[in-house]
Amino acid sequence: MKAPRFTRKTLCIPYAVFLIFFVIIPMCVILFYAFTDKEMHFSFSNFLRFFSDPTKLSTIVYSIVISLITTVICLLIAYPVALILARSKLKKKFVILMLFVLPMWINFVLRINAIREFFNLLSQAEALSWLENANIFKTVVGMVYDFLPFMILPLYTTMLKIDDSLYEASADLGANAVTTFFRITLPLSVPGIMSGVTMVFLPSMTNYVVSDMLGNAKVTIIGKFIYEYFGSDWHMGSMVALVLLIIVFVSTILSGGFKSEENVRGTNL
Amino acid sequence: MKKNGIFAIALAGAMLLPTAAMLSGCSGGDVVTLRVYNWEEYIDEGGKGTFIYDELHELDDDGDPVLDANGKHIHIESDIVDDDYKTWYEETTGHALSEEGPRVLDDFCEWYERTHHQKIRVEYSTFGTNEDMYNEIVLGNEYDLLCPSDYMIMKLAAEGRLERYDESFFNPSIPENYYVRNVSPYIAEKFETNAGLEVRKDPDGEEIYWKDFAAGYMWGTTGFVYNPAALEAAGISEEDLETLGWDVFTDKRFKSKITAKDNVRDTYFAALGVAFQDELLNLDRTAEDYIPKLTAIFNATDDATIDIVEPTLMDIKSNIYSFETDTGKSDMVQGKIWLNYAWSGDAVYALDLAESGKSEDGEDEATAYLNYFVPEAGSNLFFDGWVMPKGANKEAAQAFVNFMSMPQNAMRNSYYIGYTSVIAGEKIGDDDPAMLTYADYLYGEEDDGENFYDLSYFFGAEEGTYGICADEEQRTKRQLFAQFPTPEVIARSAVMDYYDEEASTRINELWSRVKAESLEPWTIAVIVVAVVGIIGAILLIKFGNKIDFFHSKPKKGYEKIKQENA
Repeated sequence: MKAPRFTRKTLCIPYAVFLIFFVIIPMCVILFYAFTDKEMHFSFSNFLRFFSDPTKLSTIVYSIVISLITTVICLLIAYPVALILARSKLKKKFVILMLFVLPMWINFVLRINAIREFFNLLSQAEALSWLENANIFKTVVGMVYDFLPFMILPLYTTMLKIDDSLYEASADLGANAVTTFFRITLPLSVPGIMSGVTMVFLPSMTNYVVSDMLGNAKVTIIGKFIYEYFGSDWHMGSMVALVLLIIVFVSTILSGGFKSEENVRGTNL
Repeated sequence: MKKNGIFAIALAGAMLLPTAAMLSGCSGGDVVTLRVYNWEEYIDEGGKGTFIYDELHELDDDGDPVLDANGKHIHIESDIVDDDYKTWYEETTGHALSEEGPRVLDDFCEWYERTHHQKIRVEYSTFGTNEDMYNEIVLGNEYDLLCPSDYMIMKLAAEGRLERYDESFFNPSIPENYYVRNVSPYIAEKFETNAGLEVRKDPDGEEIYWKDFAAGYMWGTTGFVYNPAALEAAGISEEDLETLGWDVFTDKRFKSKITAKDNVRDTYFAALGVAFQDELLNLDRTAEDYIPKLTAIFNATDDATIDIVEPTLMDIKSNIYSFETDTGKSDMVQGKIWLNYAWSGDAVYALDLAESGKSEDGEDEATAYLNYFVPEAGSNLFFDGWVMPKGANKEAAQAFVNFMSMPQNAMRNSYYIGYTSVIAGEKIGDDDPAMLTYADYLYGEEDDGENFYDLSYFFGAEEGTYGICADEEQRTKRQLFAQFPTPEVIARSAVMDYYDEEASTRINELWSRVKAESLEPWTIAVIVVAVVGIIGAILLIKFGNKIDFFHSKPKKGYEKIKQENA
């Protein structure tokens, strides 16, 4: 009896099956629906309707703005943290890192619910009653809370990889802290920034659970739009999804996400 | 490796098994399966909070059972879950009534097995909106029984997706036909006439009447739950509310203190109410064509109407606290909002919840009592009914409907979810119809001659025949008023019609315009420029090593080293 042999080919089968059923076929279905009308005839009508409708364009722009704000805030918080963690000589770095990552292990809807209740409590105070209607503010806070670990981790891993001798050299050559930061730390952490930005920017454009629960459903981002269209008009919904996909694709290329040597995301988990 | 694999499969199987068991109502060997697809939280689910449990235990103000010295629950004799009820239960299921609150689905399985000599298993699943349910059906998911609302029943029937009920289902002389024997004549009439809506045709060209395709389950009105104490503190009286009617949505005094529904059907309906309130109030209510006119206004989808309603919806959006699907009830009870546009069943639930929470924060009276009102100009009347999709197991499905239509079960479901059952109950001998007894038990009080609440219309009798005696609050603004609307409320209520493809597209486009943030063109331009700028910056950073950012001169010897390295 021949022992079963695991060649590279056979090992690929599970993933190939996954790829076909959960990536390729759904993509084709989206494409199909996006370019057909209700009678299932080929048509550009959804495409034209999408790009002639100021509502949809402004929703996309609006989502981009919300995601940008989220991303910038995440970056501003995460960068110093990652830098301190990576450069410090602390023995228990792991513990601090865990504190940032830990929330990711708790169900996200639960966390958003908790934050909703937290805001409710806060807004009962007279001085903070403005919180009640600060829908955009609350949405952004929720998004930042949700996606911060995704920014910290790639930054931390990239910074960890920066060779100490570079800093020594920099000091030897008489550079001060500012110059060292701009000539060594920042350029070498760009892959981490790119990776973190992609991982925060893109999901926060579609995470409508946060905008619904914290924004009282008065903040409409593109993900919610897709969801609502799928309640009534699959064809338009697919078109919006397709446009979003293209935006994602373009921004991934821009951030160099397809270059394998710079790809550091997830290396820590 | 292989062992691990088997272990993993076994583990996965073991994890799936209880799920499967949980999903099904009952189990057994050779069984028929009945796939029921119902609204979330729309059936008696057993345990605490059910009719049977609550009636048989002594409860404290929170609705929790009171414990005796030994830590055991105290059981009580109930006036409504009495010996007759227990006998009925024993005869139906074949065993004594458990005080732990049996699930109505389990009871159905036992009853079905006894009467049909066939084991049955119920696969019960739930949906959140009519549209979600519709999508599931169109995708080809198979069910035996669905519970859509009025307009969705019509849509499904018009598309030829439904089975008709058997002729024999409507024969009142068959004792097992609990639905036809117990259904309220008022509801039956609505189902026979489509509540006055246009009669459409199915793909075979036959006229569609709800009655042929649907058996009623629950019904009600929409209106506003309000917090009288909070309104009084803001200097707004209940008379003001009545005068405002639909305008509460746009009145600035309620800014951020009122909610609308996060779905297009209900909020569009409400916006029509706001926009056409004067017209609605000016209709001649005694005229023959009052109801058709009212219905036409509340179902208008033409461009002219949309042009009028769009700014109204924008006003509503800027005035409300939130678009909600289910947070309204708790926001209301917590006192965060003063008004919540709600279905009557949810209103009853919120009112009950607020009262049960009273002891918890007894000092905070603002959250203690809520009331319900229906705008004078007219509101929505809705019906949810059981329908059978094509290919359904009709025998089991119709048996299920009949079981749920036994007055004893209708009470259980209604009690648990807060909505009003379409079941009235037969008049047997000198006894009142069962649901009248039930309403009296929940809300009735001593007769003082002036507190008669007439429900004759629901029981299909002359005015003044059936009704209960209740205090003024219950008659005008509390649970009784919400659960069993007065003839006056019914008389000014319109049923939703379904939108055809074109209208549906128009309304959805309108809704997306309302929900979306409408940015000025110049804002878009500024943002686009900013985004392009950011992309430029990214490119600059990526290829920035080619450009010297800081224009700093290289340190001495740098060029030389670079050349040497090259």
